[in-house]
Amino acid sequence: MNVEKFNYDNQIVKLFLIATIVWGIVGLLVGVIIATQLYIPELNLGLSFTTFGRLRPLHTNAAIFAFVGNAIYTGVYYSLQRITKARMFSDVLSKINFWGWQLIIVLAAVTLVTGITTSKEYAELEWPIDILIALVWVVFGVNMIGTLVKRREKHIYVAAWFYISTFVTVAVLHIGNSIELPVTFLKSYSVYAGVQDALVQWWYGHNAVAFFLTTPFLGLMYYFLPKAANRPIFSYKLSILHFWTLIFIYIWAGPHHLLYSAVPNWAQSLGTVFSIMLWMPSWGGMLNGLLTLRGAWDRVRDNPVLKFFVIGVTAYGMSTFEGPMLSLKNVNALAHFTDWILAHVHVGTLGWNGFMTFGMLYWLVPKLWKTDLYSKKLANVHFWIGTLGMVVWVIPMWWSGITQSLMWKEFTPLGLLKYPNFLETVLQIVPMYIMRSIGGLLYLTGILIASYNLFKTMGKGSFTAEEAAEAAPRGPVTEKLQYGMIHRYLESKAILFTVLALVAILIGGLVEIIPTYLVKSNIPTIASVKPYTPLELEGRDIYISNACNSCHSQLVRPFRSEVERYGEYSKAGEFVYDHPFLWGSKRTGPDLHRIGKKYSNMWHYLHMENPRSMSPGSLMPPYPWLLENKLDDSNLKAKISAMRTLGVPYEEGYEEVAHAEMAQQAETIVNDLLDNGIVVEPDKEIVALIAYLQRLGTDIKAEVAENK
Amino acid sequence: MKVIKNFNVIAVIFLLFILSSPIFAETTAESGGGLESIIKIMVAVTAFLVAVIMWLVLVYSEKSESAEESGFRKLMQMLNQRPSIDDEQKLLLDHDFDGIKELNNKIPPWFMAIFYGSMLWAAYYMVDYHILGSGNVQEDEYAAEVQVAAMEREILNKSGALVNEETVTVLDDVAAIASGKEIFIKNCAACHGMNGEGLVGPNFTDDYWIHGNKINDLFKTIKYGVPQKGMISWQAQLDPTQMQEVASYILTLRGTNPPNQKAPEGDLYTYE
Repeated sequence: MNVEKFNYDNQIVKLFLIATIVWGIVGLLVGVIIATQLYIPELNLGLSFTTFGRLRPLHTNAAIFAFVGNAIYTGVYYSLQRITKARMFSDVLSKINFWGWQLIIVLAAVTLVTGITTSKEYAELEWPIDILIALVWVVFGVNMIGTLVKRREKHIYVAAWFYISTFVTVAVLHIGNSIELPVTFLKSYSVYAGVQDALVQWWYGHNAVAFFLTTPFLGLMYYFLPKAANRPIFSYKLSILHFWTLIFIYIWAGPHHLLYSAVPNWAQSLGTVFSIMLWMPSWGGMLNGLLTLRGAWDRVRDNPVLKFFVIGVTAYGMSTFEGPMLSLKNVNALAHFTDWILAHVHVGTLGWNGFMTFGMLYWLVPKLWKTDLYSKKLANVHFWIGTLGMVVWVIPMWWSGITQSLMWKEFTPLGLLKYPNFLETVLQIVPMYIMRSIGGLLYLTGILIASYNLFKTMGKGSFTAEEAAEAAPRGPVTEKLQYGMIHRYLESKAILFTVLALVAILIGGLVEIIPTYLVKSNIPTIASVKPYTPLELEGRDIYISNACNSCHSQLVRPFRSEVERYGEYSKAGEFVYDHPFLWGSKRTGPDLHRIGKKYSNMWHYLHMENPRSMSPGSLMPPYPWLLENKLDDSNLKAKISAMRTLGVPYEEGYEEVAHAEMAQQAETIVNDLLDNGIVVEPDKEIVALIAYLQRLGTDIKAEVAENK
Repeated sequence: MKVIKNFNVIAVIFLLFILSSPIFAETTAESGGGLESIIKIMVAVTAFLVAVIMWLVLVYSEKSESAEESGFRKLMQMLNQRPSIDDEQKLLLDHDFDGIKELNNKIPPWFMAIFYGSMLWAAYYMVDYHILGSGNVQEDEYAAEVQVAAMEREILNKSGALVNEETVTVLDDVAAIASGKEIFIKNCAACHGMNGEGLVGPNFTDDYWIHGNKINDLFKTIKYGVPQKGMISWQAQLDPTQMQEVASYILTLRGTNPPNQKAPEGDLYTYE
């Protein structure tokens, strides 16, 4: 048999590996900072750039796309070459993939802290960066599929099935969710509005978790875990079953993020039932991982790599059990908008993504640098401090989520809310916030220890950029399609496999999203709901730019306790002009959907200047710059016509009078403030923000009044 | 050996949990999720997690025990149908990816049972909610919740336990005034000053009143608010007695002459 000689590209793996460590430290550091800001708001140093709302998306983006993203590339670029017995398809594409991704991360950091954001969670980046992401992702995909096509192995290993599904699904999700109409170079509006935008966003958001945090890591597990344990995969059958069921079912479960919202009931129910059905396919991955360790458990005790993998896979099992439970409406009613969700997410990210990454790095660095780990002792310290950090992070957040939610819902015997003041429920959980930041600090310490250990290991070894390998060419395909071996046949067809994976993931999304467009009755219109005035529209953009939606929801759920606290529950028809929707996903502060006309203009002015003056003890940071900054209304005309293009019924030619109308409305607010002894110029940002807040959720009040 | 026995107990709990999971999966009536049901869930989840860990320990310690065939072990064998690790060679497929081999183990029967169970449950759920309509969708759930609250309120009203703007009287006992002061400092002082001297809202210590100076007037203003002027409605936050207490306390502030008083607003009322 003739044997071909070739080289594995280790250089690209090294680049991604170092980026993983560096961004890991950055992402976790920002996490610790914002965790601390929640009880010491002064830590924003009085700057808009470092305020919680701006840093929170920076943390999530850095952790998910920078840390985990680079970890995925590290693992894929290393393992794919080896399971296909081929060098990456193109060195140029590899380089574009690396430098392009790092450029995206830097651009993300700069734009997010300066308030350039679309507001959509985990998809905050503006349209030029979105296009860049799409391009770089396609480069990655082409490079991967190209490698699979020119592979020397006859079949495609299960790890690569997961890589393939990751590529196609993230491409579809990212493009689908980022369809937005540019207004200027750095500002755009989502083409979807209200309920539709919410469904698309959580179809994306949920599946970003599925196909960026889950499937690529299952792929990594299928390579690195058996390699490190030197054991065969427990069950090939189980691999096939849980791969296809996982990718097919996952995509349907998005609406479980929108239970008890204004989304149609049928969509919510689909979210619930598919989440329950997702339980076993998820556990299939955990079982195959843990049972692969069968016969190697004695080695887990003294092998740090396996230790990290065991906790990682166990954390995956825990959070994929918790997820379906949280999708039950009665549990969700309690957990949604609270810290419980954060606990759930962090079991996944700290436990599964973090520990799998660390395990992989501890295995990979000695391998690539041809040496032993610098210190096994330090790796063990990292393991314990990381595990402890996770426990100290997660348990207080479960506790605080349940505590606060029960306080929100409690009534007195006389039928009044027991804790009508939202702040009381926040102050109650401050000790938990403190614990959580300590947990985060421990976990961060762990990764610092890891980076020291890994860089020391690199220092004492010698790195080979080009690793020689040899394998027989694949030759003509001989695999035949035959009964009982269908999947084996599929494994020899890279393109067909990719297409089938694409079909599997398209079905759920299409079934859930298309009907909300086509079936009018899914979004009942409300006659009294009108488009925003120019000033309110500008105010809304200030709300978005300061990421108020990081802490405040705009969605009153149909519960007596919420209607009592905030006002009438939110209806689908109220959001038809909301491009993008701003429902939020976490109530660190109270809901704002019915804030309009509840307080005076002066209250809002003083509250933004210093929240504690109106709400003693408040943990909201002050926003004094809103009082100083001049409103940039230079794009108002473009904004109005963009909104009209998206279907908001502004009359033709409204652009021409928009500035005058805006000035008029600003004048009214300024005069009212002046009557109360506050002097402010009408062109300040605060005026526009007050106009928006006073409008929020008030349209429907007219309707209610008319009906009475 | 003794340790293993204990594990068995816990593993049985785990099994029971698996069997009972559809029960709490379909509870939909009580959306509020009272403390009791939450505790139940938390206990179940905790027991479950403990059981899983114990189960793993049990499964992986099986090798050391082979002499005794307990009923429990037979049950576990039935649920797992996993051949002994020593027979592994027979299950080895000819797959080899960079040295990684694959076994052809059966998918555990318990896994398939739960998976099929979850599908049945899903079908039942959709039919129940959206075809038969016997499950409560959120609007019905809300209506039911509000109806119960309205009935409770009706009973309270009839019992005369609640004062209103017509029946309210000035309280003058020390405890009520002290309680009124506490409510004032917590809720009102931000706008009306710590001593009622006025800040964003009007001064309570002079003889001028915008909406009247009688206890009924004060009670009404507190209860419904004056939204256009920035005074919010408090009836969702304070119960009638609390509003009565705080109104009574405010009436005691007249003439206390605190520093930094806000200029008079409203009409001058004469007092005897």
